[in-house]
Amino acid sequence: MNHFKFQVINPLLHSELRLKIMVGLDSLQSADFMYLCQITDSTRGNLSTQITTLKEAGYLDVSKTGIGRFSRTTCSITNKGREALRAYEDGLRRLFNERVPDMKDKTGTE
Amino acid sequence: MTTTEELDIITRMRGEVMKRKDLTGENLFLAWGYPTAIVLLLEFAALMIWNEDWCDWLWAGIPLIGTPLMIYFLNEDYERTRRRTLDENVILMMWIFIGFASCVGGAAMGFVGVFQYCFFAYLGLLCGLGCFMTGIILHFRPKTICGIIASLLSAVPLFFQGDLWPLQLLITAAIVTIALIIPGHLFRQYVKLHRL
Repeated sequence: MNHFKFQVINPLLHSELRLKIMVGLDSLQSADFMYLCQITDSTRGNLSTQITTLKEAGYLDVSKTGIGRFSRTTCSITNKGREALRAYEDGLRRLFNERVPDMKDKTGTE
Repeated sequence: MTTTEELDIITRMRGEVMKRKDLTGENLFLAWGYPTAIVLLLEFAALMIWNEDWCDWLWAGIPLIGTPLMIYFLNEDYERTRRRTLDENVILMMWIFIGFASCVGGAAMGFVGVFQYCFFAYLGLLCGLGCFMTGIILHFRPKTICGIIASLLSAVPLFFQGDLWPLQLLITAAIVTIALIIPGHLFRQYVKLHRL
């Protein structure tokens, strides 16, 4: 059982900000960097670092348009990223469902 | 983070994105509807007055006016919301396909010499179907209803053949009004009322 639990934890998604970015982009076709800043409630520097990490893992597509101050960064989730997020979420739900009966047994409730 | 906290983040983020799903594209139907209806009426007038070959060039007015307007409104929407949803993308791709299908179909019908017989029914049907599908995707009933009506009416131009064929232009202008202009205005009002 422990082996399964360790498998579930994808280290790339086991970070609050990275998970927020992936879930936010999962329901969208694409989003601007500033939009992601707003919905994740994070700083630009931190967001930029995490986006680069996810891009290097092949979970995000990042495109830049424009020049200098007028440049715009647009992010979208890749199929690989979407699959990883689904697997991660399923794993979390299975872990959660396993834990709930354990807790009920300990407290003596059904 | 614990499992519960992570699941909570996932639920919260999905809710946050849904909360910010501001409606967009309220001007796109009008950006295509008005140029199409106006060009159809101008074509009818030109055929009635001059009936010369150059009148065919008026058709180019639809993409020449519609495309820049569409790009302008799409950019305006993106500037405001800074994101594009899957639904918006599906609708956009569907209408781009309808635009290409109209151009390719029109050119092919012109080439084989059946343009006057069936192009306007084809155009009306494409507009009606596009409007119906958009209404279904956006859950906006007036568009769905207008799409059904326009699709049904798209058969009417087929009854005007021979010398009466220019009347097809007027009927198609009416169908375009039902499929694009009326739902476009209704959707614009709806978006104004529900804007975040």
